[in-house]
Amino acid sequence: MKQILIRVLPIIAGLVSWPTFIQAQDADGPTFEDILRGFEDPSRWLTYSGDYSGRRHSPLTQITTDNVDQLRPAWTFQTGTTTRGRGFETTPLLDDGVLYVTGSNNYAWAIDARTGRSFWQYRRNLPGDLTYGASAPVNRGFGMLGNQLFMVTLDAHLMSFDRRTGEVIWERELADYQVGYSSTMAPLVLDNKVIVGISGGEYQTRGFIDAFDPVSGERIWRFNTIPGPGEAGSETWPADPAILAAGGGGTWMNGSYDADLNLIYWGIGNPNPDYYDENRPGDNLYTDSIVALDANTGDIRWHYQFTPHDVHDWDSNHMPVLANIEWQGEPRRVVMVGNRNGFFYVLDRVTGEFLLGKPFTATSWAREIGADGRPIVVNDGSLGCVPDPWGSTNFYPPTFFPGLDLFILTARETCATYVPEEPANTRGQANFGGTVFIDSEQGYGALRALDVHSGELEWEFTYPSPSFGGVMSTASGLVFAGDHEGNFMAFSAETGENLWHYQTGSRIWGAAATTYMLDGVQYVLIPSGTTLMAFAL
Amino acid sequence: MNSARYLKYRRQLIPLIFILLSANSAFSQTVNPLAADPRAARAGGGIFRAQCASCHGADAKGIETIDAPDLTMIWTRAESTDQVVFQMIRNGIPGSIMPPHSFPDPEIWMLVSYLHSVAVTGTSKQIVGNPTRGSELFQSSCLLCHRVDGSGGSLGPDLSAITARRAQAALTDSIRNPSVNIARRYKPVSLLTDDNERVRGAIKSEDAFSIQVMDSNQVLRGFSKSALRELSRDEPSLMPSFSESQLSETDINDILSYLQSVR
Repeated sequence: MKQILIRVLPIIAGLVSWPTFIQAQDADGPTFEDILRGFEDPSRWLTYSGDYSGRRHSPLTQITTDNVDQLRPAWTFQTGTTTRGRGFETTPLLDDGVLYVTGSNNYAWAIDARTGRSFWQYRRNLPGDLTYGASAPVNRGFGMLGNQLFMVTLDAHLMSFDRRTGEVIWERELADYQVGYSSTMAPLVLDNKVIVGISGGEYQTRGFIDAFDPVSGERIWRFNTIPGPGEAGSETWPADPAILAAGGGGTWMNGSYDADLNLIYWGIGNPNPDYYDENRPGDNLYTDSIVALDANTGDIRWHYQFTPHDVHDWDSNHMPVLANIEWQGEPRRVVMVGNRNGFFYVLDRVTGEFLLGKPFTATSWAREIGADGRPIVVNDGSLGCVPDPWGSTNFYPPTFFPGLDLFILTARETCATYVPEEPANTRGQANFGGTVFIDSEQGYGALRALDVHSGELEWEFTYPSPSFGGVMSTASGLVFAGDHEGNFMAFSAETGENLWHYQTGSRIWGAAATTYMLDGVQYVLIPSGTTLMAFAL
Repeated sequence: MNSARYLKYRRQLIPLIFILLSANSAFSQTVNPLAADPRAARAGGGIFRAQCASCHGADAKGIETIDAPDLTMIWTRAESTDQVVFQMIRNGIPGSIMPPHSFPDPEIWMLVSYLHSVAVTGTSKQIVGNPTRGSELFQSSCLLCHRVDGSGGSLGPDLSAITARRAQAALTDSIRNPSVNIARRYKPVSLLTDDNERVRGAIKSEDAFSIQVMDSNQVLRGFSKSALRELSRDEPSLMPSFSESQLSETDINDILSYLQSVR
């Protein structure tokens, strides 16, 4: 009997594993409908925020406020590539037990999500004369559809890969990197569209959002963030085509998507030059704005400008966070933004109507938004320091915790003095247009939870220095965040109490956690320094 | 100096540079051909602000949180010659976040000139004092906490080349009023541990959960903040202030002349 069992067991094991094996090998990969279902399948993380809402709020509950103190490292993946002056900013995507990860300097990997072992690695041969891409050699993640992966590059290309092999299927140039263009964001994949943005707003560039056909690689539409002469919005600029053609307005963080409205929501970056404004009087649309675009055509439906006529480099390249909440007794579809200018905003995402704007830092630049929806600027910098060019928060993701109705973000309290200076406006060179002096003695960071109905601070946890770590929450009442000192931490979403921390050894910069379930185990991932780390109970 | 003017200077300088380079290219690799031209430092400032300031700070004083060093101190290192700094900019520092740069040679020399222009001003003249007596006073008053030439304490900064970095008046002021300006990594802290041990020391590092100090016995110690009963940072400097009755002007000048003699 024992012998029979020994002979039969491998056959049974083979039968059991056979369908799994076939499924993994023949899987067609996620569809648009799969991405629309977001967190429904906990063994997947298919788009930058986990779903199209930008909330980065997972329904997983294995790790709780009671047991999170038992969280331990499960594995560490060493990328072997460093990021000069920035961080490992990626959000890995997960499907069929495989993580698809982009890294700095346009490296990329497929990694076993259970063990951290690599299936394949890709490295792009980048030109030696990169412009913006040399100063920020980062990448924030893949987009995925079927068996295709999509990644943008530091020399301003969009690439498609076969996710099984890492082989390139096609690549397209987005813009001329030698002018100053680059691309670092995670593509937003919709139904038969790959939507990407561009970096380089400090250079002689004109920002845009592009939609590409995932199969043919052909461009479907382009939205220019700086209007052309005579187009709507051009009246907010001087009537000089050369200024419009180099007005900046980068689109270097991906957007969110409302399938019912078929609208994408996207943040736009600073006007060029950053600090020197004598050649660009006016509001400078659509810089420092959020735009709502028709996903099929790229046509603009509405916009809201957070920082008219910016002179502080306060890009609005933030993840727009979508939620359906009760607003003054009525259900409302809103989009929320924690902005680099120090204000937390709630807008109606159907119409763009301004609903709330409230400061979440001690910024002296403005303390309220007027009835016309514009900030009432009380200190342009001449009455003391204002937040530094990295802003009161930045692109790193916030999270929205439904039920508690908290918007939780990493805030930066800083003090900077700006000295504008006419720039040279040289092709291929950054044109900040001045100098910024930052008083580092006065800086600190904080994880802050805001009541989305009032913008009031519900709780905070402070860090010794201004931090650049993103935030994720889980339905079990946890908030995961990282700080500049290298701590990866868990907090109670309800109270802000710190429940767990782990020193990763490098600052967590521009990245936020992800989480998934495999084989009954909930993993939490965080990129830090040159490593991707996985934690489990 | 704005960047438009920098371009104008560049147009003016390039013919001059070309002549220098073509006359003796080996010469150009070891000596800054623009050292005598005050326009070079101004032009270098424009390049610095556009290309270097994001890491090294607009004032070239560095950004500690990304390990970008204070370049105003670069010339206080014995090994820092124009040629070495030129090569550092050209080749970067392997293994660090400092990348190589492909600027034309003249632009790198302009950066070298600029870095000279923002260098901290040390004590250039001979300090009038008695270095022998200064050495004795240093042994009795300073050596416990400060090092010179590899010997001495570690609670305060190494003073081996301090007169090259700071002016005589500033050094005298630091001895009289040490709490006015306390450098990072020497900020004082007072701790009370769970078992009622009182610890005074200098903060070396800190995060939200822990603090790393050198205590007053010059021992490196780490503490979990949750295990501390008190943490107070509004403290005077660990260095005592020396009044006129403790160290006269003559005494201080003797000490400084000693420090200058061991540079």
